[in-house]
Amino acid sequence: MRFMVIIKASKESEEGAPPDPQLLLDMGKFNEELIKAGVVLAMDGLHPSSKGARVKFSGKSRTVVDGPFTEAKELIAGFWLWQVKSLDEAIEWVKRSPFSSLAGESEIEIRQVFEMEDFAPVLSEEQIQHKVDARAELVGQEKK
Amino acid sequence: MRFMVIVKATPESDKDGALPDPELLLEMGEYNEELGNAGVLLAAEGLRSTSKGARVKFSGKSCTVIDGPFTEAKELIAGFSILQVKSLEEAVEWVKRAPNCCPGGEGEVEVRQVFEMEDFAPILTEEQIQHKVRARAELPNQTANK
Repeated sequence: MRFMVIIKASKESEEGAPPDPQLLLDMGKFNEELIKAGVVLAMDGLHPSSKGARVKFSGKSRTVVDGPFTEAKELIAGFWLWQVKSLDEAIEWVKRSPFSSLAGESEIEIRQVFEMEDFAPVLSEEQIQHKVDARAELVGQEKK
Repeated sequence: MRFMVIVKATPESDKDGALPDPELLLEMGEYNEELGNAGVLLAAEGLRSTSKGARVKFSGKSCTVIDGPFTEAKELIAGFSILQVKSLEEAVEWVKRAPNCCPGGEGEVEVRQVFEMEDFAPILTEEQIQHKVRARAELPNQTANK
């Protein structure tokens, strides 16, 4: 099963402060462990929302709002994409992450990723295969 | 430059067992193909309802696990994609052309710049950066700046 593991933003991450060197080291070790266990499919960090924007959709109209955005709780700072057997396994890995050594509070959200087959109730086999093929062409999708 | 395009959830999209509307799925598929053909789309994923998810909150050394579902739709994401483009403006232009994920109502998409390993140059050595670059290059679904 695939999960997106989402690192919520904080005041510090939004300020663009460089990460604490010890945390960077600990995170590096944690990532190496995850990678060795074959868990990590992808991972990336995000620049603060001051370098971003939001696009609001209302019917056919589009409104662009520049960052920064103030509610850190609504923002993400980074993510992993993991391949594990269950939500419980993902939770166990997250509990071992270095976030426990950070001052203050951190929050990680774990979300299951849709597989194309999950759309079987609403799409035909042919439509699903078309999507699977299109995905296979993308750089960041797993090549089977 | 790489940008992450984050599609915000709505109460409807986050219902337990909710599947995207088939027409929207097909429209999104066509839109993604257009981006793929333009060499812009690096990755795209949809997320299942938060009822199938969990949160782990860390406070000092203690951590608490909270099972989904979560109710504050403004904080939830329904999916994401990663684009390779020249600028935030270009990413925004592509996003404006996307189908409205909530045709009957209001949707919101956030566009955020992705860190490249080179961005760590002020705090990591060249060797440390290359180590990170190599580690990522091995990952099955990793996208990278071209």
